[in-house]
Amino acid sequence: MSIQEQYRSRAKELLGEGSVKMVIGYGVGTTATRRRPIFITSPDETDRLVLDASCRTNLAGYLLREGLLADQKSIAVFLLPDGVRALNILAAESQLATAQIVVLGFEIKGEEVKPLEGTAAGDFSAIIAERKEQRKAQPSHEMAVKLEEMTPAERFAFWEKEFSRCIKCYACRAACPMCWCRRCVVDNNQPQWVNTSSHTLGNLEWNLVRAFHLAGRCVECGNCSEACPVNIPLHLLNGRMTDEVLTAFDHYPGADEQQEPVLASFRKDDPETFIL
Amino acid sequence: MSEPFEPKIVAFVCTYCTYAGADLAGTSRLKYPPNVRIVRLPCTGRISPMFILKAFQKGADGVLVSGCHPGDCHFDHGNYHARRRWTAFNALLQFTGVPEERVKFSWISAAEGIKFAELIDSITEEIRTAGPFEQYHKLIAETGSAASV
Amino acid sequence: MTKILYSDDLTTCFSTWRKEGIMTFGPVQEAGNSGFREVQDEKELDMNLILTSRTLKELFFPRTEPMLSYSIGKQQIETSEFLPSEKPCIIFGARPCDAAGMAMDDELFNWDYRDEYWFRRRSRSVIMTIACSTSDDFCMCTSLGLGPDSAKGSDVLLRPLASGKGWLVEELTEKGDKALQSIASLLKEGTEEAAPTAEVPVLFDLEACTTWLADPENFESHFWKEISERCIGCGTCTYLCPTCHCFDIQDEGDTYEGIRRKNWDSCSFQLFTMHTSGHNPRNTQSARWRQRIMHKFNYFSLKFSVNSCTGCGRCTRECPVDMGVRETLQAISTLQK
Repeated sequence: MSIQEQYRSRAKELLGEGSVKMVIGYGVGTTATRRRPIFITSPDETDRLVLDASCRTNLAGYLLREGLLADQKSIAVFLLPDGVRALNILAAESQLATAQIVVLGFEIKGEEVKPLEGTAAGDFSAIIAERKEQRKAQPSHEMAVKLEEMTPAERFAFWEKEFSRCIKCYACRAACPMCWCRRCVVDNNQPQWVNTSSHTLGNLEWNLVRAFHLAGRCVECGNCSEACPVNIPLHLLNGRMTDEVLTAFDHYPGADEQQEPVLASFRKDDPETFIL
Repeated sequence: MSEPFEPKIVAFVCTYCTYAGADLAGTSRLKYPPNVRIVRLPCTGRISPMFILKAFQKGADGVLVSGCHPGDCHFDHGNYHARRRWTAFNALLQFTGVPEERVKFSWISAAEGIKFAELIDSITEEIRTAGPFEQYHKLIAETGSAASV
Repeated sequence: MTKILYSDDLTTCFSTWRKEGIMTFGPVQEAGNSGFREVQDEKELDMNLILTSRTLKELFFPRTEPMLSYSIGKQQIETSEFLPSEKPCIIFGARPCDAAGMAMDDELFNWDYRDEYWFRRRSRSVIMTIACSTSDDFCMCTSLGLGPDSAKGSDVLLRPLASGKGWLVEELTEKGDKALQSIASLLKEGTEEAAPTAEVPVLFDLEACTTWLADPENFESHFWKEISERCIGCGTCTYLCPTCHCFDIQDEGDTYEGIRRKNWDSCSFQLFTMHTSGHNPRNTQSARWRQRIMHKFNYFSLKFSVNSCTGCGRCTRECPVDMGVRETLQAISTLQK
């Protein structure tokens, strides 16, 4: 049985026995390689589910749809390991209870899709721990290396150019499972900290705020870069923040749901290299 | 001869340590450059990176963020939280090319009036040498010019 | 006899215009993203793009622009206005769908008041459109009653030659004619054939859709929730739409001085309709998606007798969750049958 068949029948079973009220997964898209999020509520519709190497979107953000989890019923959701980490963070930040979520975990290796053992967020700790070690050993993105080698003036010019394209559609925010604030700080006008206009200054400010607020919370799922209609390399900013929390605080975002948020916790012996 | 460049520096300080340190510098009649504008806050834990961005948005050439030494926080651990926050934010600023001399962080206790005066002296000098924060000032100026199309 | 502009003459063409003080714009590709901007010469252009990822509207309705600056003193209030320059512009290499969008928005920006920012730029600009000989999976101009060689909104239409060496030139307006006069010596007479236009399949029955949308019964239909369930409420579709024109007015500054700006806004955003009281008349994403569709295919056409969609397909092409006008209208089309 193919993994897609296997997961379809698992979804059918869950919906049929009434243990979940909805399955959030992937369906066919506009073109042969496109996949779109779909929401299945009846066991008769599970044939619409697709699972292949094009299923990359992190679906965890949909769980926070207003009222979706309010009835205490369970929901099953297709998640890559990054998605499970997102789930852990959302639980750690009191946005949901993992007990309500049935994980249909999978991973993509090259073009191959493999099932992941487990149903609860906590069942995936081994693979997440493995990912942490991989992330530590992972060489930096080619462009990130180039940036680090530049002078500050060159780096500033690089980002000025990238941010000048930003159209402030906030697709990066909308696509991010971690951007769950009901009202984003940049949408407040009392006080209005950063400019809302999409001139380069406003764009720089927005992108700094976004990257900072995701420091230690980003699971590097790629939803933001994928959503950005003007191709700003947002993953580089997020990646740099992840590097920092990993090296400075040994913090791998979303390791488990007991993990303390990195910027809301501390150790007395945290490193400080730049404080005068 | 043109006037020497006088940088605008904004210092966000906690009231219990660094502000008291600045006060001590004053009462001790220590001289330090008048380029620094001090914004007093209850604790470094209250200092959001948004403040730093706001200072630059309003044309600052440099920003100093300063509070109690680790272990000395009036609220026990506000500065430990601040330290983590600065670690991440400082890395982000470096990565986006904000020159290292534009944002400084320090611990200055209520007894360190001399350290305060000397630090203000040295960062003012450093920024004076670096000149105005032209890269940022250019972006500010662009907001007030007609759209390019 | 038809006039032909050969690609080899494009360099001279651009330098002639620029010598006359005309600003030249065209499609360019930068960092994997494409749009229109001023170019010094034709080498900067990317002529192989089927369609730029950003639209032509940015040249007439920038995503942010200052309207006025103010300063409030003890004695008086001073304001000064920003207005776009009237320096002539030629936009070379627009696509028919984008050009048509500008004509549609002319109606809107000249409705209850005349938008000077839009019209100053419109009247100084000549749009030279290149008919499409290729299309992609998302193009749907033919479904909207337009086509790969529609003339709507263009001042000059260029049809690619079958040989690929230039374009057949067709002037459509007086402005277009004037722009061609300065390069008259470069326009050769010839009998070369134009390349066939792209074959863009019709994807839905537009009339069936507008009829369904016009039926008040369907306003509260469950259809809206189902079709937009995955919408994440980003503004991509609206910001990349050649006809979406909503904007917000923002004062940037403080009580004493600042700049009033006109910024793009989007009906996809929750804040778009949020009242100060906290009440939001469009409180769900499905209500917001319904608004977008209704605005384009019902409200706009009631007012201006034209649907405000050109079938460029960007909403579907760029949607992070694979939604778009296409899927919705295809679905409505099926409901009708």
